[in-house]
Amino acid sequence: MKILVAMSGGVDSSVVAGLLKSEGHEVIGVTMKLWEGPNGEMPETGCCTASDSEDARKVAAKLDIPYYVLDHTKSFSEDVVGNFVNMYAKGLTPNPCVECNRSVKFDHFLEQAKKLNCEKVATGHYAKIVNNGGELELHKADYLNKDQSYVLHMLTKDKLKFIDFPLGKITKPEVRQIAAELGLRTAFKKDSQDICFVGKKDYRNFVNKRIDISSSGDIIDNEGEIIGSHTGVHEFTVGQRKGLPGGQGEPRYVTKINVSSKQVQVGKKEDLLVSDFLIEDVSYVDVLETTGLSIQTRYNSDDLPCKVKLVKEGELEINLNEPTYGVAPGQFGVLYQGSKLIGGGRISSKILQNA
Amino acid sequence: MKNSDYLYLDHAATTPMREVALKAFIEAENEGYANSSGGHNLSRKAKNILEESREQIANVFGAAPNEIIFTSGGTEADNWIIKSLFIKGISPNSNLVTTNIEHEAVLASAEWIKLNDYKVTFAECLDNGIVDAEKFLSEIDESTIVASVMLANNETGIVQPVHNLIKKTLEKNNETLFHSDVVQAVVSKKIDFHKIGIQSAAISAHKIGGPKGVGAMFLNNKFKLPSLFHGGKQELERRAGTVNVAGVASFAAALKEQQENFDLEINIIKKEKEIFETIIKDNFNVKVIGEEEERLAHISNIQFENINSEVLMVDLDLNGLGVSRGSACASGAQKPSHVLEAMGIGKDNINNHLRFSFGWSTDSGDGKKAANIVLNSLENLS
Repeated sequence: MKILVAMSGGVDSSVVAGLLKSEGHEVIGVTMKLWEGPNGEMPETGCCTASDSEDARKVAAKLDIPYYVLDHTKSFSEDVVGNFVNMYAKGLTPNPCVECNRSVKFDHFLEQAKKLNCEKVATGHYAKIVNNGGELELHKADYLNKDQSYVLHMLTKDKLKFIDFPLGKITKPEVRQIAAELGLRTAFKKDSQDICFVGKKDYRNFVNKRIDISSSGDIIDNEGEIIGSHTGVHEFTVGQRKGLPGGQGEPRYVTKINVSSKQVQVGKKEDLLVSDFLIEDVSYVDVLETTGLSIQTRYNSDDLPCKVKLVKEGELEINLNEPTYGVAPGQFGVLYQGSKLIGGGRISSKILQNA
Repeated sequence: MKNSDYLYLDHAATTPMREVALKAFIEAENEGYANSSGGHNLSRKAKNILEESREQIANVFGAAPNEIIFTSGGTEADNWIIKSLFIKGISPNSNLVTTNIEHEAVLASAEWIKLNDYKVTFAECLDNGIVDAEKFLSEIDESTIVASVMLANNETGIVQPVHNLIKKTLEKNNETLFHSDVVQAVVSKKIDFHKIGIQSAAISAHKIGGPKGVGAMFLNNKFKLPSLFHGGKQELERRAGTVNVAGVASFAAALKEQQENFDLEINIIKKEKEIFETIIKDNFNVKVIGEEEERLAHISNIQFENINSEVLMVDLDLNGLGVSRGSACASGAQKPSHVLEAMGIGKDNINNHLRFSFGWSTDSGDGKKAANIVLNSLENLS
């Protein structure tokens, strides 16, 4: 099978290319160039650095597969970075990895693969595609520590036909071992952790440079009393503790962000407990059933048993069996039935029923 | 895939080495491995090889031997000429006039002197790919110490009116050093520097079947330049560093064969390019860049309607045809060419171009073979 492998220059995608090649597939490696400086220069930190594509190139050379760098900077900057900035400007907490998978990797890149007559694209995501009697299902990776199915929830059955996640059944230590056995230079390369285009810097500076809003406003408490001021709602995220005016005794957390009044509301930790909320723009990998459901409200967070109600097309109400902390509007709620991913949508800021 | 199954149409990037050049390299290394600046018998042998090569190369370009200084390639020569006169102590009005379609070696060197607070003008080219002579000349003043226009463009092959520009530039300021990057022009044009009036030039060996890492700067005897590399007193105290004698000998041998076979090789190149362009034009909606202008015989830059050439280039490679798109960025992504942007090609079409470049290793039949591979890929992609 002719397979286009997305190679970031990290160990996971290196091993994907190596495994598929050793299985006898015709493998073509591609690094997507996602991000560049104002003069076209490569970022120095994060991913997408020139040295990352150099690593991918060397791995491809070692595996003796064709290798290319394709420019996806336009789509990445509009669909991923643009969205990231806009979300903060709206007082929401974005998840750029989801947007990148949605619009870059499993849209433009997938289309390129089809044009190049490739039957599938493969990536180094930890997730599993299971063929259940002819029906393709998306499951969590066997290696739960690294499970990335959350950021793949926007896939559809139609797309799964063209996708391969070869790391779904192996562990990270095994991946490193395979890389070492194949003699790949990325075997012991450190995993990337940061938002790739922000790197180790503060995301607030990144957002500040890119929006022209003067959204300074008040910080208020639960009673509506003004207890301080801030220089922009985008500098806050629900659940945040840092950067708030000091309270006597109990720590304070951001509980609500109101963009139209430019108010950031703070409260106690208990105020963050949520049991009922909405998810919108919901897409499904599988048929929604009402029993045995659980939801993740952040990447790789705990599975929270829940019930769902259809509000309208594309919108679900989620009722958690037990209230939880850390439900941030803008992040995604992803539904699972056991290890099977059902679908997911963006957590709405409209109604957030505190427990 | 064996290299022999692969059709190489990227000669403007580099060419395979000619047999005679490889042979000359080995011979020179065997007999003249000593340092050509040394004082003993073996050094004299190296020095003889070096000077014979210099004479022979100078002859080809109508230059005196001491007007040829060997460098590591075209980029070094461009850097040297553009940068080295802009030093401390010169008039702050000193300026450089060049164009926005130059090779990166000239453009980036110009940016460098701009960083040092000297005025640099990048005269624009017209939509036909030829530098706007009026604009260019209007920028020349009594403080223009260097002017630079390439003889022919490396992305489009479009020939520039260098002779005329030199004449008019010198009428305005006869002390200006007029530089021309001739790296690409040498491939398919006979060049006499003094006849054209070029006062300094950058030449590269590997574009004509010589080795990589070897080139020359031509500098009219009237001029003296500060050194770019400092150290030993090689090349008449102009360029420090042990001279790459074997590389130079190999360069001379490649140039000799190229000049001897010039008409024969260019005829094949021309014919194959014509066949290629005709088949493509007959079968797909394309625009051949610079078709109405005087173009170098070996370069064909083609705009494919509604086809992203990034993917096309990958598909061609997977099907055994190697071409190029523009310049490669640090990541290895192939960026659209700045030359096409300078020609006013907008964002709708800028990503639809590929450069096909023929060369001395091109055989009869290559044009048709290449066209068929391209048409096949276009069918996949459209």
